[in-house]
Amino acid sequence: MQRIVAQARKELTQILRDRLALGLALVMPVALTALLGTSISLTVTDIPIVVQDLDQTPLSRQYVDAFRSSLTFRIAALPPATSPEAALTAGWARAALIIPEHFTREIRRGRLAEAQLLVDATDTNTARLTRGAATQVTGAFARQLGASRSVPAVRTATRLWFNPGREPRKFYGPGFFVLALSIFPPLLAALAMSREGEQKTILQVYASSISAHEFLLGKVLAGMTIGLLEWLLTLTFLLTFFGLRFAGDPTPLLAGSVLFLFCVVSFGALVGGAIPNQAAAIQAVALGGFLLAFLLSGLIFPVENIPPALAWISNLVQARYYIVVVRDAFLQGGGWPAVWWAVLAIGAIGLVYFGLAWRALRRMQVKA
Amino acid sequence: VSLIPSRRFRGRLWALALKELRQIRRDRRLTISLIVPPVLQILLFGFALDADVRDLRLGVVDESRTAESRELISAITENRTFRLAGAYATTAVLGEALGTGRLDVGVVVPADFARFLARGQPATVQVLLNAVNANTAQIAQGYVEGAVGSLNRRLGTARTPARARVELRTAFLYNPGLVYTWFTVSGVFGTLIILNGSLVSAATMIREKERGTVEQLLMTPASALEVVTAKIVPLFLLLMGMAGLALTVARLVFHVPFRGSLLLVLTACACCVLTGIGIGTFISTFARSAYQTLLISFFVNPPLAALSGAFTPIEAMPKWIQPLTHLNPIAHFATIARSVLVKGAGLDVVYPHLLVLALLASVLVGVSAWRFRTQLG
Repeated sequence: MQRIVAQARKELTQILRDRLALGLALVMPVALTALLGTSISLTVTDIPIVVQDLDQTPLSRQYVDAFRSSLTFRIAALPPATSPEAALTAGWARAALIIPEHFTREIRRGRLAEAQLLVDATDTNTARLTRGAATQVTGAFARQLGASRSVPAVRTATRLWFNPGREPRKFYGPGFFVLALSIFPPLLAALAMSREGEQKTILQVYASSISAHEFLLGKVLAGMTIGLLEWLLTLTFLLTFFGLRFAGDPTPLLAGSVLFLFCVVSFGALVGGAIPNQAAAIQAVALGGFLLAFLLSGLIFPVENIPPALAWISNLVQARYYIVVVRDAFLQGGGWPAVWWAVLAIGAIGLVYFGLAWRALRRMQVKA
Repeated sequence: VSLIPSRRFRGRLWALALKELRQIRRDRRLTISLIVPPVLQILLFGFALDADVRDLRLGVVDESRTAESRELISAITENRTFRLAGAYATTAVLGEALGTGRLDVGVVVPADFARFLARGQPATVQVLLNAVNANTAQIAQGYVEGAVGSLNRRLGTARTPARARVELRTAFLYNPGLVYTWFTVSGVFGTLIILNGSLVSAATMIREKERGTVEQLLMTPASALEVVTAKIVPLFLLLMGMAGLALTVARLVFHVPFRGSLLLVLTACACCVLTGIGIGTFISTFARSAYQTLLISFFVNPPLAALSGAFTPIEAMPKWIQPLTHLNPIAHFATIARSVLVKGAGLDVVYPHLLVLALLASVLVGVSAWRFRTQLG
C-alpha cells in the first residue's frame, strides 16, 4: 500500500513539472466542453427561406407573415430575376416557399389551396426540421382561417419531459463533458506509461522491489487524481455556465464517474504500456478515446442508428454507458433503477482494461 | 532573384524532393497512416453518423379501448418513426418507463376519446416526449402532429366536405431520398484532409528537428526555400493521393452523386491539402518534439473539426461563433464539396469559398515556410 502511494506521488510530481501536459489536462476539458457544448447542435432556429409570392394578395402576404413570425424561419430577400432554385443552389436559402396564383381565390371558394415548399435536402436533418416546422406554420394558418367553421376532431397536448425548453445545450453539454473525460485523463496516463518505455526508466522499476500491480495501481491512482480534478472543474462549469442541476439522486453519477475514470485511465495505461513511443501512444488514444467516443457513444447521433455491423463495437465503448449515467443524472433523474446496468458495464470494462494493462506491463518486463 | 527558377535550383529541388519521397516511402508507418486511418474514418463516419429519427420506442396507455383509439395509434405508428414498444395500464407506469429510458414517446388516449369523437367535440390526446435530445424531440413532435393532422383530415373530409384548406407540398431537392450519408461523407472529406494532412506533415517536419538532421540540410548548397519546397511537394502529392482514395470510397461505397465538375472538387482538394500542410508545418515550428506537436494538435484539431459545419449545421451555432467559421478551411471545403458533388453547382457559385481556401492555403504555407526558414537559419 505504501509503495502504491509512493508511486502515485512520484507520478503526480512528474505531471506537475510538465507544463504543456498539465495545461492540457486542466484547461482543455473545460474549454472543450464550453466551446463544443454550446456550439454543437443539430437544431437550426433561423432557417433562411426565400419566398416567391405569385399571388400578391393580402391573404398570401398574411401567410408569408406567419412564416416570418415563427422562430424557426427567417425570410431572406429573393433578388429580382432569380429563380428560387438558384437561391438554393447558391446556398443563401435553405428552402423556398412558392405561393401560386389564385391562392386566395381557391381559399375563398373553399377549395384546396396548395403552396409549394422546395427544401434543400443536402443537410437531411435540417430538411426534415424545415418540413416539420413549415407544416406546423401552415396548419396554424389554416386553423386561423377556418377557426369559425370547424374544429379538428383530434387534438394533441404535447408535453416535453426532462428538457421542456428543448435546449440543445442541456443535451450536448453533458455529452461533451463525457468526451472531454474520455480524452484527457487517458492521454496523460498513456504518456506517463509510454515515457517509461521510451526512456527506458521502466528498467529502474523492474530493478526496484515494487511489483507490477503495485506499480500499475500507483499510476492509475495518480491518473485518477488528476482525472477527478478535471471532473470537478468541468462539473462546476456545467452546473454554473450550462445551468444544469441534478435531476435526482446524484449517487449513480458519483459511482459511475469514479469507475469511468478508473476505466479510461486503465485504458490509457494499457495503450502506454503496449506502445513504448509517446507520439504513437497519443495517436492511439486519439483514435480510441476521441474517435470512438465521438462517433459510437450517442454523443450527437443516436446509438440506435448505428448499423448492426458496428453496433457491437459501440457496446465496448465505455463512454456510451457513461453518457447514459450523466444525462440521467442531469436531465431524467431516473437514479439507480434506470442506470445500474450502465454503471456496472463501466466497471466491467474498466476491470478488463486494468487486467490487460497488467498483462502488457508483464510483457514489457520480459522484453526489457 | 529572378522569378523563373534556374536550372540549378530545379536540379537541387528535384534531388531534395527525391530524398523526401524516398524517406517517406521507407517510413512504413507514415504510408500506413496515410492510407488506413482516412479510409477507416470515412467508413466509420459514413456508417455511424446518422441523425435520422426512426424506430423511437412508443408506449401507449389506451384508456378508451375502442376502434377509434386503435386507429389513432396505428396512424401514429404506420411510418417507421415510431415503433410500438408496449401498452401500459396507467399514465404513472408509462411515466416511469419514460423516466428510466425504456421509452422515448408516450401517448395517452383518454377513456372518453371515442365518445367525444362521436359527439363531434374535440378529443384531446396526451403526448409525452422525452425531450433530452432536442433534435429528436422536435422531429418526433412534428411526426406525431403530422400523423394526427392527416387523421383529422380523414375524419374531417368524411364529416364536413367543404371548408377552407391550405396545404403545403414539400419537395426535397438534391437529395430527395434524404440519404444521410451524403451529408456526412461530404463533410468528413474535408475534415479528413485537414486533420490527417496536418498530422502527417507535422510529423515529417519535426523529424529533422528532433533527430538533428537539420544541420545536414544546412550544409547542403540548397537554400532554405528549396528545403521547404522540397518538403512540401512530395507531401502534397501523397495527400492528394489520399484525397483521391477518399473520393473513390465516397463514390463507390456511399454512392455520393458526383453532379458537378470533378476538376473543381480536385482544385478545392489541392487548396485544402496545402492548408493542412500549412497547419502541420506551423505547429511543428512551435514544438520541440513529435510528442509536443501531437499535444498541440489536440488543442487545434477538435475545435477545428467540430466548428466546421461538417457534422452539424453552422446556423445552429451561437451567433458569435458563426463568423469564426469563415476562417475554418474545413467549413469552406465542406460547402464546396456539398455544392459541387450533391447540388451540381459550378465555379460561379463556389468561387468565393475557393478564393478564401486558396488565400488560407497561401497564408498558412507562406507563414509556416517563413518560420521554418528562420529556424533553419
